[in-house]
Amino acid sequence: MMHGPAGPSNTVETTAPVLGIGAVGKRFGATRVLQDFTLDVAEGEIVTLLGPSGCGKTTLLRCVAGFWEADGGTIEIDGQDIVDVPVNRRPVGVVFQSYALFPHLTVARNVGYALRMRNKPRAEVAQRVASVLETVSLTGFENRYPSQLSGGQQQRVAIARVLVMEPRVLLLDEPFNALDAKLRGAMQVELRQLIKRLGLTSIFVTHDQEEALTMSDRIAVMSGGKIEQVASPDEIFDRPATAYVADFIGVSNFLETEVETGHVRLPDGQTVMTDLTGGVKVMTRPHNLRLGPPEAGPWKGTVSFHRNVGPLIEYHVEASDGNVIRVSAMRQERDCPVKDRSQVSLSVIDPASCSVYPG
Amino acid sequence: MAEAAIHRRITPPGFGEQVADALLSGRGIWPAVPAIVVLTVVAVIPFAILLSLGFSDFEMSRGAIISQTFSFSHLTNALTDPLYWITFQRSMNLALSTTALCLLFGYPVAYLFLTGGPWTKRLILVLTIAPLLTSGIVRTYAWLVILGGRGVLNSALLQAGLIDQALRIMNTHWAVLIGMVQIHLPVMILPLIAVMSRHDSRLVEASENLGASRIGTLRTVILPLSVPGIGTGSALVFTLTYTTFVVPQILGGGNYLNAATMIYEQVVFSLEWSKGSVSSLILMVTCLMVLVAIALLTNHFTKWTKGHDA
Ligand SMILES: Nc1ncnc2c1ncn2[C@@H]1O[C@H](COP(=O)(O)OP(=O)(O)OP(=O)(O)O)[C@@H](O)[C@H]1O
Ligand SMILES: [Mg+2]
Repeated sequence: MMHGPAGPSNTVETTAPVLGIGAVGKRFGATRVLQDFTLDVAEGEIVTLLGPSGCGKTTLLRCVAGFWEADGGTIEIDGQDIVDVPVNRRPVGVVFQSYALFPHLTVARNVGYALRMRNKPRAEVAQRVASVLETVSLTGFENRYPSQLSGGQQQRVAIARVLVMEPRVLLLDEPFNALDAKLRGAMQVELRQLIKRLGLTSIFVTHDQEEALTMSDRIAVMSGGKIEQVASPDEIFDRPATAYVADFIGVSNFLETEVETGHVRLPDGQTVMTDLTGGVKVMTRPHNLRLGPPEAGPWKGTVSFHRNVGPLIEYHVEASDGNVIRVSAMRQERDCPVKDRSQVSLSVIDPASCSVYPG
Repeated sequence: MAEAAIHRRITPPGFGEQVADALLSGRGIWPAVPAIVVLTVVAVIPFAILLSLGFSDFEMSRGAIISQTFSFSHLTNALTDPLYWITFQRSMNLALSTTALCLLFGYPVAYLFLTGGPWTKRLILVLTIAPLLTSGIVRTYAWLVILGGRGVLNSALLQAGLIDQALRIMNTHWAVLIGMVQIHLPVMILPLIAVMSRHDSRLVEASENLGASRIGTLRTVILPLSVPGIGTGSALVFTLTYTTFVVPQILGGGNYLNAATMIYEQVVFSLEWSKGSVSSLILMVTCLMVLVAIALLTNHFTKWTKGHDA
């Protein structure tokens, strides 16, 4: 595929994915770590790989970066297959989980490394290093060694070091793992804004769902080396494609039941439409449930535990069938002050927001 | 009541525990006491005797010293004697060239260890450590078999028709050098491997990802980070080779005079203890000078490590 100057005739090409991963597989001995992995990332898009430990996230990044060779499939950047391109010639920048900063080089020399390896003139290196350091707000730290920086500052150096080479694709492997919760939250927002401002096409790896919801344009939920669902954070949260995704993202309540001609009946008497037949699982989020006085409905239970989570109160309700149902409510609107061990009834606020999965 | 119970629990530790704590705290010199005692007996006292022998004229009668007077004469004699200069120069040359060659041959092995797979690593470790399990004398005699006039090397070369006359390698500078390098190679390789494998392998990957070629990574990442290993390995090999005795004695055929063999002759054959002790002092001082130089160089190239405390 040719890349001409941007213009009206190039509309098709500019919407073509920057990074195309097609049916990539990877096995170590007998274990298949990646199976038939397919994912396209569009220009300027941040796609997050989200999945439990060991599901193959790092493996995929390492194949894209070229540290490992995929067993099969294609990896294309701007339509050009890069499988045979050596690591140091791929237009891919990696931010490592451990940062992997060069301990013997100052901040400025760490950041200028990629430019020096490309034999750029001194003046250009100095100028670009200064401008990147300004971008990540590290001006004034040029002459420090990595060991003299805080975790958050090291993180910025790691990002600056990659940004300076203007990669076509940015790969970030759990870049916030070493940071404490508060700094992590701040860095997430900051990094997302930075990547968006620079328009970098990125794959971001995490196993923290909140981080995924913050950082991503799209989230790819992985399980066992395969993608379960790729969609926007809202869609993943509101309409998880499989029970696995629903379970992985956010808190979910699963109710096992049987389909009665085109719909399932919820314990509170309301119905949800479905095309499935036989035994199914109905999933509803805690915020889609409401507690009422015990006589208000047929779905009864006992509050077994509650806690305040910031502005929310989370209740664990032991239903009469033994299921523990999780319900959350805003803290202010205590129209029904509920104590532990008190009898309540449950009802679904919006049945259409429930998802139905094969049982 | 409760207070009393608490008070009972925080009674001071027993004497034995206190001693153990003090020893293991890492503060003070207590943990070093056994080593200090041993060193005083086996090193400091003999060294003092050595000094007193080297800087005094004494008269002996029936194996006992009857008069001893302070004198610089042995030192000035030694420093003006060209034989000393030639000998120490030879020792220095041999030690420096052995160190350089060990580094030249050892570094690629350590690099291979760093980049190779698990089997490469295992093989290198076995091949490096196995020779250390046999005595240096045995290994030196093995070179006699290989390099001798009718040795393995000459027979092979003659048979292949590459030479028409046996090469004279034994009893030359070359034989000594070859033996020295082979025997001290592990001493260079092990510190190199230890230092190199201490660093995160991600550094090499990061370097490649940032566009560095293999050579670029070696030059800008692996080499600078292995400087402490180069320093340690060089210091060890230098010290061992500068003061070596066995290899020059066997492979040099008895007429290869270096510092150690000279001291041996002075003390054992000519019974000139003062000469011997002055030679030993010169050997020690020059050796220390080179070690200091190595340490300074190592420091210079590892300035970044000082950042940890700053
Ligand atoms: N060099 C290797 N040899 C053999 N198996 C490996 C190797 N590297 C990874 N694996 C296996 O591949 C699987 C996926 O590993 P990977 O590192 O990609 O997981 P991950 O999704 O990044 O997990 P985490 O969230 O813990 O980082 C794991 O089961 C792991 O044991
Ligand atoms: Mg990982």
